Amino acid sequence: MINTAILSWVTFIYFGAFVFYLFRMILEHPFWGKLASWIAWTGLIAHSVALIIRWKASYDLAIGHVPLSNFYESLIFFAWTIVFLYLLMERQLKNHSIGVFVMPMAFLMMAYASIAPGINNRIEPLIPALQSNWLTSHVLTCFMGYAAFTVTFALGIMFFVRKVVARNSSGVRAFIHLLPSDDQIDDLIYSCAALGFIFLTLGIVTGSVWAHYAWGSYWSWDPKETWSFITWLIYAVMLHVRLMRGWRGVRMAAMAIVGFGCVLFTYLGVNLLPSLHSYLT
Amino acid sequence: MSPFYLPVGALPNGDSMIHVFPVIVFSNLCVNRELHCQKHHDKHFALTVYIVDTSLSGENILSKKKSTIWSFFSSVRLAIVLLLIIALIAMIGTLFPQREAAAELAGRIPPGLFSFLQKMQIFDLYHSVWFILLMGLLAVNLLICSLNRFPAAWNRFRSSPIPRDPDAFKDLGEENLFYPESDVKKATDAATHLLKKKYHSFKQADEKGSVYLCAQKGRFAHFGVYMVHLSILGFICGAVIGSVSGIDGSVKILEGETISVIGLRNGGKMMPLPFSVRCDKFTLERYKNGAPRIFQSDLTFIKNDRAVRSVKLLVNHPVVFEGFHFYQASYGSVTGKKATLALLRDGGRRDIVNVSAGYTFDLPGKEGIFKVLRVEDNMMQMGPAIKIAVHSEKEAATFWVFRDIDRIRQVIPDVSERVPVFNPGLFRPYTFSLLEIEKKYYTGLQVNRDPGTPVVAAAAVLLISGLMIIIFSYARQIWIRIDQDDGRVRIGIAGRSIKNKVGLKHEVRYLLAQLKDNLENPK
Ligand code: HEM
Repeated sequence: MINTAILSWVTFIYFGAFVFYLFRMILEHPFWGKLASWIAWTGLIAHSVALIIRWKASYDLAIGHVPLSNFYESLIFFAWTIVFLYLLMERQLKNHSIGVFVMPMAFLMMAYASIAPGINNRIEPLIPALQSNWLTSHVLTCFMGYAAFTVTFALGIMFFVRKVVARNSSGVRAFIHLLPSDDQIDDLIYSCAALGFIFLTLGIVTGSVWAHYAWGSYWSWDPKETWSFITWLIYAVMLHVRLMRGWRGVRMAAMAIVGFGCVLFTYLGVNLLPSLHSYLT
Repeated sequence: MSPFYLPVGALPNGDSMIHVFPVIVFSNLCVNRELHCQKHHDKHFALTVYIVDTSLSGENILSKKKSTIWSFFSSVRLAIVLLLIIALIAMIGTLFPQREAAAELAGRIPPGLFSFLQKMQIFDLYHSVWFILLMGLLAVNLLICSLNRFPAAWNRFRSSPIPRDPDAFKDLGEENLFYPESDVKKATDAATHLLKKKYHSFKQADEKGSVYLCAQKGRFAHFGVYMVHLSILGFICGAVIGSVSGIDGSVKILEGETISVIGLRNGGKMMPLPFSVRCDKFTLERYKNGAPRIFQSDLTFIKNDRAVRSVKLLVNHPVVFEGFHFYQASYGSVTGKKATLALLRDGGRRDIVNVSAGYTFDLPGKEGIFKVLRVEDNMMQMGPAIKIAVHSEKEAATFWVFRDIDRIRQVIPDVSERVPVFNPGLFRPYTFSLLEIEKKYYTGLQVNRDPGTPVVAAAAVLLISGLMIIIFSYARQIWIRIDQDDGRVRIGIAGRSIKNKVGLKHEVRYLLAQLKDNLENPK
């Protein structure tokens, strides 16, 4: 199928963007940053086109639905939102160094979608429970949230990398002087986490509305629901410790990483547990 | 009780939180022991001091005791600990099977351990005493914390900035100043026009040739946090209402059947409905790959022996009848009593007969009589089968006829020889084959009534609006001072905001540019 072919290419494009972001950091010439950014935008456009083609293809098969309905499609969309969010952020901040940490996330996700065993990349018809307009809003908001948390995580990793590199003062200094300062990273971590929190909240609410229509109960403590609730609590704690207990820097970066662990478990880990959401695998 | 602001001027350590816990006792006034120190803007701090007049009630000792509990519950540290414990318990709940699923675990672990876990309510953790207790604590925490802090927010909401705020213009940078080529009157008019257009409230003060203007917007942003926290209380209330007076049941109805009793999920008891429900028809459509595409029940609600309403119930499209919500949840089939048989007589005719258990029939060649003894949906894991007894004057035979006999023979080629009763040709010269067993569909309905749902829905709306307000809006105050500096007219613009300092900087710069533009190029 043409859309999956484009998507495999996009995987390489994202990898290329990552490599050039890295060049920007090491060779310190702004040209590489511009090139990387340009490549990432190209990838995003190709990615969007592939999604639209896939969407249209599902209508040609007379089972039309938004391409957000199985594990493959969710991975692809997850990667799309990460890149989208990152590029918006890059435009705002005019700093190319964060790409080194974010692009690998998108790249890995795309690669996982195409090579992991047992992932079905065909367009499948929707079972009745999934035939709902809430599916679109639920998945859209959840993955926006996940993507914001992924960027938060990348920023957390960046914070620690910067710390470690700054300590071993020799050699790789160049690598970090382009990175935002500790305070800037800290602010970014907070903003991204807050954005993710809003979207996760929207995701949980739309999911509950959907569950209310589909299963007759807005909340049933199914493992995926429970884990999204746990994730939500962890980020609520993260907002509170910053606002009310003045946590900054290392602690917030650590929270960003812990929170992302919860996101990953909500997304992937719970498939090890029996669940209503198991259609995703 | 009336909180007020006590400006303490610039404090050196820009970012870190400061906690002050002095006990200040005025002659008759006792100051609540927790003083909240809040960052108000870059350099200025305001202490919100709650003064509790205890002299009037004469309850000094009592109120001291009260305030220990009060301050325990108003602490955000408690909130953080509670949220983490709730997260932990929720996590444990996903590791153990819950409710019905727990029965399966019973066989795999020592009975002592199982009953211990059961006593600890591990198998229904989300409805356990633990969980309810924690939620209760969280609710109290939230309520008291909000009550404690609300007066300050209310004051911040109500208080409008004073035009001549000395703090506002302290260390105003050069970039916030400019010197127009016009007089004070003209500059004031332009500035007034600009502020009135962009802000809600506006005030002016004049003093010895200087003019002070101030305006603010986004005062409602102070309430975002309270909306969010109130919504959490709303969720808890909704859940309580749901668990106290909600009904969570399910029922299976065979096509053509009528029910008036449902099974409750919790405890497995039965509950009669004040009406009955008939399933007129069940429809299932499949995709090419076999997955279900649509399933639907045609239901009729019957009250006092009269059909009141007929509906089509589809997945994702629940139906409400007398406050009960009906959801199309599942479907399944049971073996009916009817089967279709084909009879083949050696070198002769082939007859199709519809039979059911107990059915007796003459063989077409009049060699004997056969009787259907049993109709089985899945006989010994080998698929549908029926048991037939045939007897003639000379002999009698009892044997099974499998629908999938060809497949069975592929696996066990000599099955008919080894197990004669599995031989469909046991009664010569006939060979029986089972074409199909009738299936009867049943529809699985979820039947709920949850009066807590509207409360939860309202809380959800409140939560999202509150979060939107917190993230996208902020209270902002702007001052403009027009005075004379060395005989030249000078305009200075200052701003103050608890959040979004960058945005504030942009806004001040924008206002300066607008004002400059207005004064230099008057229309
Ligand atoms: C699941 C529960 C909770 C959620 C989702 C939640 C959410 C939030 C959010 C999003 C903020 C950020 C406000 C901002 O950015 O300005 C906040 C602030 C705050 N929260 Fe919570 N909260 C929860 C529970 C609690 C509890 C139990 C307390 C009890 C003490 C509490 C006390 C506070 C306080 C004092 C603030 C700061 C308010 C201010 O800036 O004036 N929260 N909360």
